[in-house]
Amino acid sequence: MSDQRGPWYLLTGLVIGAVLGVLYAWGVQPVKYTNTTPASLRTDFKDQYRALIASAYMADGDLVRARARLDLLKDADVYQVLAEQAQRTLANASQTGGGAMQEARALGVLAVALGQPVATVAVSLSPLPQESSPSPSPAPNTLTPTPPTLPATPVATSPSPGTSSVTAQATPLATAAMTPSPTITRLPTRTFTPTPGAPFALKSEELACSPDQKIPLIILQTYDAAGQGVPGVEVVVNWDGGENRFFTGLKPELGLGYADFTMTPSVVYTLRLAEGGQIIPNLSASECEAADGSRYWGSWLLIFEQP
Amino acid sequence: MSRWIRFFLAIALGAAAGLLYGWLVNPVKYVDTTPDTLRVDYKSDYVLMVAEAYRAETDLALAARRLALLGDTPPAEIVRQATLFAESQGYTDADVVLMRNLQAALQSWTPSQETPYP
Repeated sequence: MSDQRGPWYLLTGLVIGAVLGVLYAWGVQPVKYTNTTPASLRTDFKDQYRALIASAYMADGDLVRARARLDLLKDADVYQVLAEQAQRTLANASQTGGGAMQEARALGVLAVALGQPVATVAVSLSPLPQESSPSPSPAPNTLTPTPPTLPATPVATSPSPGTSSVTAQATPLATAAMTPSPTITRLPTRTFTPTPGAPFALKSEELACSPDQKIPLIILQTYDAAGQGVPGVEVVVNWDGGENRFFTGLKPELGLGYADFTMTPSVVYTLRLAEGGQIIPNLSASECEAADGSRYWGSWLLIFEQP
Repeated sequence: MSRWIRFFLAIALGAAAGLLYGWLVNPVKYVDTTPDTLRVDYKSDYVLMVAEAYRAETDLALAARRLALLGDTPPAEIVRQATLFAESQGYTDADVVLMRNLQAALQSWTPSQETPYP
């Protein structure tokens, strides 16, 4: 190498080295996250994870546990995501079979349950995974999971007489790497299922006229004997050559017992509740008349109540 | 120091900078991970959820399909490992029993028993 070429060779070496380094770091031996969290799962896996949470909730009715598990997915609006997935699953149920109906119902019921105020009842709970960021470990070719950070060991608790809640103090394990343990207040277990008992009866059927409503709907409200909206009631709508099933409570912002169905003009529908009850025939899109004589679509409002 | 030595030192320095950038400053990001990469405690809780759902649904094929997301390991083995973890971490007896029941059921289950999705 000639001295006349100056120090450029150093820069050349740096550039070559940097390129090699980046190639190695990104291509040959990239950072591998082997201990990931549910929040990093691909969208479809998150959907399956969420559906499993809902199925487990339907089995054990443990809302606290379901909520804690949903938190792991870090959804911005848990309720909204659940309701949307429930409706998506329901829409695809005709292709995927009967299991999808159960899954949709579980998702819907869990969504509704999450929208409810929580009472305090004691439950026993195994330690749920505690969130922490996956640790980047350059170059591991073998899976060597870091020790799980589950510092909390549940302490046996017994409810004190006269109290309706139990607070379990999580006791940290005797390890140097433990993280501060939270005080976990055990919250109640509740199961949302349609109120068993007498079948729903149609209390009223009327054409609701609202100029703001641009499309004709069948609007359904289900109430129990105490006048509370009942979510999770399966509704079946039939028409010539078609059928649709949906559940109440998937739009809890409109009421726990609320459900609606968009009608196509000139099609006649029959509606019934899947678990028995009155059949409502001859429902079709009907027009209302505004004060100025203009006409617009009205919606059928059906109120069902348990005696 | 000869030019060649300094040249190779420059390459080494550049490589170190590249590694620093690739591993620490701007590492490869995994955002769309699969359930088999989950940390062991999340996996264990996943298995517990499958066991809880199985208790109500009693659908072993469905449970096996759910467990298949956790990797190629036989479902019974996945549950066994999760149960061991659960026992070591102080899961409640009821939860451990659920997992053991699922493990026992899976040990006598063969994939040919599975009913395919319609």
